[in-house]
Amino acid sequence: MKLPKFDYAKPNSISECCKLLEEHGAMALPIAGGTDLMMAMKNWLKTPKILVDLCGIPNLNQITDLENDGLRIGAMVTLRHLAQNPVVREKYPVLANAALAVGSTQVQAMGTIGGNLCQDNCCLYYNRSPMFRQAMGPCYKLDGDRCHAVKGSKHCWATYSGDLAPVLLALKASVRISDPQGETSIPAEQLYSGDGKQPHTLQFGRVITEIQVPAPPVNCGNAYLKMRVRKTIDYPLLGVAANVVMENDDMAIHDIVLALTAVEKAPLMIKAADELKGQILTDELLDGLAEAAYKQARPISNTYGYTPNYRKNMVRTYVKSAVRQSLERATGQGGVT
Amino acid sequence: MKTTITLKINGETYELSVEPNQTLLDVLREDLALTGSKKGCDLGACGACTVIIEEEPTLSCMTLAIRCQNKEITTIEGLSQNGELHRLQQSAIDHNAVQCGFCTPGWILSAKVLLENNPRPSREEVRRGISGNICRCTGYKKIEEAILAVANQNISS
Repeated sequence: MKLPKFDYAKPNSISECCKLLEEHGAMALPIAGGTDLMMAMKNWLKTPKILVDLCGIPNLNQITDLENDGLRIGAMVTLRHLAQNPVVREKYPVLANAALAVGSTQVQAMGTIGGNLCQDNCCLYYNRSPMFRQAMGPCYKLDGDRCHAVKGSKHCWATYSGDLAPVLLALKASVRISDPQGETSIPAEQLYSGDGKQPHTLQFGRVITEIQVPAPPVNCGNAYLKMRVRKTIDYPLLGVAANVVMENDDMAIHDIVLALTAVEKAPLMIKAADELKGQILTDELLDGLAEAAYKQARPISNTYGYTPNYRKNMVRTYVKSAVRQSLERATGQGGVT
Repeated sequence: MKTTITLKINGETYELSVEPNQTLLDVLREDLALTGSKKGCDLGACGACTVIIEEEPTLSCMTLAIRCQNKEITTIEGLSQNGELHRLQQSAIDHNAVQCGFCTPGWILSAKVLLENNPRPSREEVRRGISGNICRCTGYKKIEEAILAVANQNISS
C-alpha cells in the first residue's frame, strides 16, 4: 500500500517541535512510534503534508522513579520498555500488564505510551481501504453526512480502544503537555473529548511530553482485564481497569476508581464507584456497581469479534472480576464478604 | 523530496536516497534487493516483514526508512555466518517448521530477540515471543519445537 506523499521534519527540541506543529496546523501531524498513524496513512485516512518526528527530542524516553512523588514516564518510552522496566514491574505491575496487552510484541516494541494515549478512535466502517469507503460513501469521521455503524445517528460513533488510558485514569495519572508558549499538566481524563470524530482535546502545536503517575498508596490493589478474540494482535472488545485503596484499620474501601475502554467514544469513567467509598464491599454493592457500568457502556461494531450486545453483557462480569482482583491485591486476601 | 540516509544493515553500511514516504520494507526489497523480509498484510498485523532494529523486533512495513538513519538493522539475510546457518535456521529445517516459508524470516527474527533476552524460555514464553507472527501452514507446533530445541541447547551448553 502506497503511502501518501509528505515532507519530513525531525526537530531537536520540544520548542522547535511545537513551533513546527503550530505553524503547519492541520497540515502537520506528530509521529511517535507510528503504529497507529502508519495504518491510517496507508489507508489514506490521514494525508498530512508534513510529519514531525518526535524521536529527535532528547529525554522523552526516560522513566524516572521519584519514590513518594510517583513515576514520570517520558512520552516516547516504548510499551516494551515500559513493561520491562524493573520499577514499573515491581511498583506499577498493572501498567506493565496493560502495555503487554497492546497489539503484538513488535507493536509493543515500536509503539510508545504517548502515542498509545493519542491512538485514534476506530470503527469497522472507517478503518477500511479507500475502495471500500468509496463504495459506502463518506461517514462523519471523513467529513461525510452519516454514520454507517449506528444508522440514523447524528454524530460519529468511532470507539476509543486504547489499552493504557483506562489504567492511567484508574491510577489518577496526569499528562504534561508542551506548547509553543510553555507547558501545562492536566489529568489524563481531560485528554479525551468524547467526540468520535475528533477524540482528543490536544490543539495544534501541543504534544504530550510526559505521563505522571502518583505513587501507589499503601493498601492499594489494581487490575486491567482485556476481552479479546485472540491473545495477540487485536484491539480490546472490552477493557476494564480498577484501582482500589483500602482503609488502614478496617476492611472498608477508602478509594476506588473504575475505568473502561472500547465501549464509548472516550475512556469511560464509572462515577458510581464513588458511592462505595467508606463501605465494606458486599456482593450486593458489587452487583450494583457492575450494573451501573453495564448501563453506561455503549459498544458498537468498531472491530472484529463478538457482537456489541455480547460485549455489553460481559461488562458486568469483567467489572466484578477486576474489582475482586484489585481488592484481593489490596488486602492480600479474598475481599468480598 | 529525496533525502540521503545511511543504513547499517547486517553489518554493512548503505548510503541511499529515499523519499519520506518509503517504508523500510520497500527500501529493503526494492532498492537493496534484500527480499528475505516479506510483504504480507502491509498493515502491521502479520509479522512477515519483521526485522531487528537496535535489538528490538520491528515491523518494517510500518517503519519509515527515513527514520532509520544510522540504526543497526538485522534482516534474515544477516543471520548465517560464513555460509553456516544460524542455529534457529538449522533448527527450523530439522523440525520441518517451514512449509510455504513466507512467515519464516519473521518468526526466526522474533525468536532471535526472544532468546537474546531470555535464553531459556518456557513453551508459553515462546508462544508469546512469536505471537506477532502469523503462520497459515504448519500451525505453530513445529515452530515452537524448533525454537525450544535451540533453547534446550542453551540449557545443556
